[in-house]
Amino acid sequence: MRCHKAEKIILRTWDHPLSDSERQALSQHLQRCAACRTMRNEYHNLQQTLRSEEFPAPQPYFWERLQPKLQQRPRFSIGAMWKRWSLRAIPAALGVILVVLLAAALAFSPQPEELSQSGILLRNQNPFEESPLLSEEDLENPNMVLIFSALDERNSLRRYFP
Amino acid sequence: MKDKELVEKALAGSQDAFAALVEKYRIKMFNLAFSLTRNREVADDLAQDIFIKAWLALPKFKFQSQFSTWLYRIAVNASKDLLRKESKLRKVSLEDSPPLTLMQEDTTNEFDAVQEDEKRRKLVHRALESMPEKYRAILILRDIQGMPYGEIGSILDISPGTVDSRLHRARKMLRKRVLQLSARLGGDYAVS
Repeated sequence: MRCHKAEKIILRTWDHPLSDSERQALSQHLQRCAACRTMRNEYHNLQQTLRSEEFPAPQPYFWERLQPKLQQRPRFSIGAMWKRWSLRAIPAALGVILVVLLAAALAFSPQPEELSQSGILLRNQNPFEESPLLSEEDLENPNMVLIFSALDERNSLRRYFP
Repeated sequence: MKDKELVEKALAGSQDAFAALVEKYRIKMFNLAFSLTRNREVADDLAQDIFIKAWLALPKFKFQSQFSTWLYRIAVNASKDLLRKESKLRKVSLEDSPPLTLMQEDTTNEFDAVQEDEKRRKLVHRALESMPEKYRAILILRDIQGMPYGEIGSILDISPGTVDSRLHRARKMLRKRVLQLSARLGGDYAVS
């Protein structure tokens, strides 16, 4: 048995009865370990001191002093209430305000209106407004130039010469 | 009359029934309060406070536990509140402990066994005062008040396994602190 285990068993002796094997193992360990014998004596002294605690007598007329206090109802005090709840109320209120603001922002944000083709025509809007047109700059793009020139070449090849 | 009947009568508004409960438990509450505070006047005030809190909370008592367990729970919570308030004013630690006069006078052989015992008691309580609340409470309930495991678990709202492990740690901590304090004050607590 190691000292750590011996200490555990020593501490258990005041709460649970030890088994025969535990008692024997502890006894053997204590015979050869002086440190654990000292430790056991110290724990024993501590237990004796705690268990032999002497208490003074309470003050006289306990009930006579208590009875008038029971008849007093706890007084409502705004100051005491604020003291008790302020630390919790402030973050809670801030949280509620934040949630309300977020909800309001989501509710009143302008949503892009989606119209059908007929709706667009009824409103006299350009149905091709959203489709991007090639700008002048794009046409000057060398790649674009190549593409258009290739198209021209094909067209010329396909041209019919009677 | 049993606690349950007394509580039922007290719930119906009978102060006599509550007075009987107070009479039955006032010594126990005072002893618990004294173990924690080590001051007769403060312990008396605390015991009164415990019964006032119990009176006000009595309508919430649902008979799911014994009245004594419920009352002890109130007592432990009230004691913790008081100790927290006190600790804000005065932090108890081994470092700032005032010197033990009896320990310092231990250079001669004038002291008899009673004084030695008193000396040891002071040392142990000084060490106990410096311990964290939860360890202090369990040592008081188990080693001073001698309560069974099950009741301690109900009072502190912890499982019997936790009672076991916490008690183990608390006893180890107490021994360590007593030895530290004893060494600092030049005493020899180890073997009587």
